[in-house]
Amino acid sequence: MTTLLADLITLSAAGLLIATFGVVVRRSFIGWVSAYRYQSVVLAASTAVVGYSTGFWDIYAAAVLTLVVKAEVIPRLLVRVTSGVEGDLKMEANPYVSIRLSVLISALLVALSYGLVGQVLASARLDVLAQAYLPVSVSLFFIGLFAMVSRRTALNQVVGLLIIENGLFLFTTALTHGVSLIIEVGILADALVGVVISAILLTRMSQTFDTMDTGSLEKLKDD
Amino acid sequence: MEISPASSALFLGALLLYLAGAVLPLFLRGRRESAVSAFLPAALGSLLVVIFAASVIVSGSAIRISSPVAAPLAVLDFSLYIDGIAAFFMLIIGLVALSVSVYSIGYSESYYGRHSVGALGFLVNLFVISMLLVTATDSVFSFLVFWELMSLSSFFLVVYEHEKPKNLRSGMTYLIMTHIGTAFITAAFLVLYLQTGSLSFDSFRGAAAQLPALTKDSVFVLALLGFGTKAGLVPMHTWLPKAHPAAPSNVSALMSGVMLKVAIYGLARVTLGFVLPDSPGDAWLGLLMVMAGSASALFGVLFAAVEHDIKRALAYHSVENVGIIVVGLGLSVVFMSYGLETLAALALLASMYHSLNHAVFKGLLFMAAGSVVLGAGTADMNLMGGLAKRMPWTSLFFLVGSIAIAGLPPLNGFVSEWLTLQALLSSYQVPNVVLQLSIGFSSIVFALTLGLALATFVKLFGISFLARPRSKGAENATEAPRTMLVGMGLAGGLCVVLGVLPLVATSLISSSFGFNMGLVSGYPPFGPLTVGYTAAGLKSLSEISPPEVLVAAASVGAALLGFVTVASRGRKTIVRPYSTWEGGFGPLGVRTEYTASSLSQPIRTAFKWFYRPHTSTERTYFSDSNHMVRRSISFVSETKEVFEEYLYSPTTRAVLFVLDKVRKIQTGKINSYLLYVLIVTAVLLLLAALQP
Amino acid sequence: MTYGLAVDAAVAVMQGIAVVALAPLLTGIMRKVKARTQKRVGASVLQPYYDLLKLLHKDEVVSDQASWVFRSAPWVVAVSTVTAALFVPVFLPFSALSAAGDFILVLGLFALARFFNMLAGIDAASAFGGIGTSREMMMSALAEPGLFVTLFVVSLTLGGTNLTSLVGAAAQSGVVLTASMLFGLIALFIIVLAETGRLPFDNPATHLELTMVHEAMLLEYSGKSLALVEWSQATKQLVLFALLVNLFVPVGMPVSMGAGPLQLGAGSLAVLAKLGLLAVLVAYVETRIAKWRLFRLVDLFALAIASGMVGMIFFYL
Repeated sequence: MTTLLADLITLSAAGLLIATFGVVVRRSFIGWVSAYRYQSVVLAASTAVVGYSTGFWDIYAAAVLTLVVKAEVIPRLLVRVTSGVEGDLKMEANPYVSIRLSVLISALLVALSYGLVGQVLASARLDVLAQAYLPVSVSLFFIGLFAMVSRRTALNQVVGLLIIENGLFLFTTALTHGVSLIIEVGILADALVGVVISAILLTRMSQTFDTMDTGSLEKLKDD
Repeated sequence: MEISPASSALFLGALLLYLAGAVLPLFLRGRRESAVSAFLPAALGSLLVVIFAASVIVSGSAIRISSPVAAPLAVLDFSLYIDGIAAFFMLIIGLVALSVSVYSIGYSESYYGRHSVGALGFLVNLFVISMLLVTATDSVFSFLVFWELMSLSSFFLVVYEHEKPKNLRSGMTYLIMTHIGTAFITAAFLVLYLQTGSLSFDSFRGAAAQLPALTKDSVFVLALLGFGTKAGLVPMHTWLPKAHPAAPSNVSALMSGVMLKVAIYGLARVTLGFVLPDSPGDAWLGLLMVMAGSASALFGVLFAAVEHDIKRALAYHSVENVGIIVVGLGLSVVFMSYGLETLAALALLASMYHSLNHAVFKGLLFMAAGSVVLGAGTADMNLMGGLAKRMPWTSLFFLVGSIAIAGLPPLNGFVSEWLTLQALLSSYQVPNVVLQLSIGFSSIVFALTLGLALATFVKLFGISFLARPRSKGAENATEAPRTMLVGMGLAGGLCVVLGVLPLVATSLISSSFGFNMGLVSGYPPFGPLTVGYTAAGLKSLSEISPPEVLVAAASVGAALLGFVTVASRGRKTIVRPYSTWEGGFGPLGVRTEYTASSLSQPIRTAFKWFYRPHTSTERTYFSDSNHMVRRSISFVSETKEVFEEYLYSPTTRAVLFVLDKVRKIQTGKINSYLLYVLIVTAVLLLLAALQP
Repeated sequence: MTYGLAVDAAVAVMQGIAVVALAPLLTGIMRKVKARTQKRVGASVLQPYYDLLKLLHKDEVVSDQASWVFRSAPWVVAVSTVTAALFVPVFLPFSALSAAGDFILVLGLFALARFFNMLAGIDAASAFGGIGTSREMMMSALAEPGLFVTLFVVSLTLGGTNLTSLVGAAAQSGVVLTASMLFGLIALFIIVLAETGRLPFDNPATHLELTMVHEAMLLEYSGKSLALVEWSQATKQLVLFALLVNLFVPVGMPVSMGAGPLQLGAGSLAVLAKLGLLAVLVAYVETRIAKWRLFRLVDLFALAIASGMVGMIFFYL
């Protein structure tokens, strides 16, 4: 049994990493959303694995919730709300860091997080779950942040935010073996609302200024 | 004498009256109603405060008023503890607030229509309440809360006439400086907290005897910087001459007269209560205060000497007088560290007497200045003149205030100056040559200050009130309304009483600070003040007894009058009024009169090394070929404020330079900010990882 | 020490009358000496008396610009100066009022007189008055520290500020001047010259706007007011000379009032003689120098202050 568990854990961790890379290579908004959907599915699966290994039923519930909200509701909402935005605005035309370079940097970040977290883990005595998932969650966090840094389009930055949120969720789940369900719901609701609001705002922004280039925000700076 | 519980009721009643005065005018409209409803309760409340404070002092026991609601946290302790020292300062607050409140009933009416009198009443009452509570609190947190309330309410009062941009700038300077001071004060209290582990003043007092030297020194210096900023010690005084003139005159009277004393209260509490100077090693702290005080005094009066705005000049004089008070406090610290208890009591008496005096006569002077500004329509002395005939009562009150502040007998300024001089002269008893000589030099600076103060008040009173009016506004000046005169009269009467019957105040101060000095003898309240000396084995007593001096002067006056009458009999002489002799040039006009600037010109030249005046002369001509015929000549001479130019401006420029460079990281792009977050997180993880 | 109220009062009254009566004589002596050294005969020594009495019989002209301050100032000046004279032991080593006032009070009363003089100067709205007041402002401000440093030296050496005990202590210590007292004497001499309006500070015989300081403030006075102010100036001069003489050159002064009438009488005569000598000395000094430029006087004041400080240092070290 344990070997099955161990395999599942490793598999899900790997799946998460692959999903994250999948986000990084995409250029268009739709592509990002679908990659995010995929990542959320894998995340739900990982959560289920955690629930399986610890035996808490509310982790299963959290997994289902994740699946529903993150894999279905949020992507749909995103697409619906931003349908008013013109297509080419959603295309990442000119990122600060080119796609190829960002893949390399993502790999570096993964290595960095594995190395650093490994050092930290060496001193603390944590079980196998934490050992497997913690580095992944930290790398998710970094990659999400990096994605926000390197993308110009505001919408894509929202997706980066969502990836960070995923990473944090995994972090807490792995470390504390499940957060209380209520808090879980709260966090999800928070993410949901946040996404909706930012999407609406960004739509507005594109309609008013005819651009979603965050670089042009620089013109607001009073020099 | 037993303190009855009614006394705390007096205090709470006074607070309620102030609150009423704060809230009522916000609901009433109408010129008279809003003014009266704002300040009549304030006057009544001040009277209650005076009675309360006097009863606490006379009874000799302290009062503790606990907050009705239990504090949720130990730090949020709002109970009040009023001992003799607090009561004395409350007395000062009450006396000045009483005269200013009565004065304000008439003064605030002049703002009706242009500004909200209700807001003025609200803020002034809040201001007074916060000052009273600052002196009454017993723990750090409540002290800071009320201190901040005091600063904020006075800030809003300073920018009350906010349509003038100059007032806004002055207000901002004041706000910044007062918060810098508050930061230092908080730091001092925090050091004490670290030492004792508690935030209540009681525990500070208990731990005072066992403080290690480093703690003592740091608390002392921090407190001096913090309270000194609020009190207006040089070099932290730059806000004073900006803020006090900007505020309405009744507020200036309160700020100069009372708020500065609250800062002195804080300084006295910390240096004498929490940081006991009990060994010769602490004497340098007192010497620091003496030198800072004498420098303040001299610089204050030097700047006042060349001012021609009446309120700014009075503000600079406040700096000077605060310096004198701090000199007395510093001497007290020096004497205490050598165990010379009687002399320490003398110096403290001098310092506290001067605090009381300054509150009274500065309040009087600012009130009179407000009356002048109202009557003549200007605060520039070069546009005044001849007001003694047009505003006789105001000029009388201003004269009384000038005589008092110049330290001339028989008014109160002379008594506190006498006491301070006696304390300085007694410094020969300190067994340390360096200290003796330094105090000796400081006393020379002190004497120079007194001489200059006399000169500047000749200018202030003479140019504003005497001779010919220099502008239409001065020509058409009208006397102030009656309530303003009554308020000024109260303060003036206090000046006389404190000068002629010094024992009233000395006994009050002695019992509030808890020393029995044997300074006072004879028949109170008419007895003399006495100080003992020893030299070459001989003992002597220096005494003054103002009532006897007055009696002597009166008899001299009678004798002279008799002599002159007798000697001039045989020919009836008349007194003819005629125009001033003009040397045959024709009728004199305003242009031949001396102005404030010209009157102070010899002093300005004699102290050129201090003022560093810049002069520039500009001539324009009708045609470039002929320089004999000029279209206009203008001569500008300005003296820079030494501290602003050499201390504050360079510091501000340096800070702005550094901040400008730092500003470059603010790119305005979200992405760069996120990058900062990324880098910092990575670095933090790296650091965590590298830690063994 | 008091000797009973009646004796005290009698002594005080007699001393006051004597001081006021003799003050113009001192001025007369000084004018005579100056005249003689200038190879003139000069007016009689009693001429100031004649002048003052004449003034009392004259009408007064008061400027219509002046206020009540101008009219009351001569009285304030006269009362405060003569009252101050009561506190100083001039002829006897005792002043009945020493229990009511000391050296600082005397200086304070003189300052009060000066304050009103300065105010009166500007009250008539004439430019001459302004000249006098502005110069007097500067000079009195600089004279204060000089006076105070002298007081400090005297207080250190002789103990305290009570004038009776100071004079008594001076008489006891005899003729020998310590180094610090010598420097104090120099300082006080300079300051006394300034306070009494003598050359090089001020020329009491001129009415040129270039040179007058004290005279400028009095320019608008006439009749009784002028008599009062002039008399006050003479009284102040006598009192200051007496202080200088009794504190620094106490030859012949009995130590205390218990010395017996013969010694007291001899002491009074000695004081008179010393005063006369000092007057002659000052007058002689005046004829040797000219009035200094106003801003050069700052250096002279600085010299006085420095001398006093050196005296203080000498005492402590």
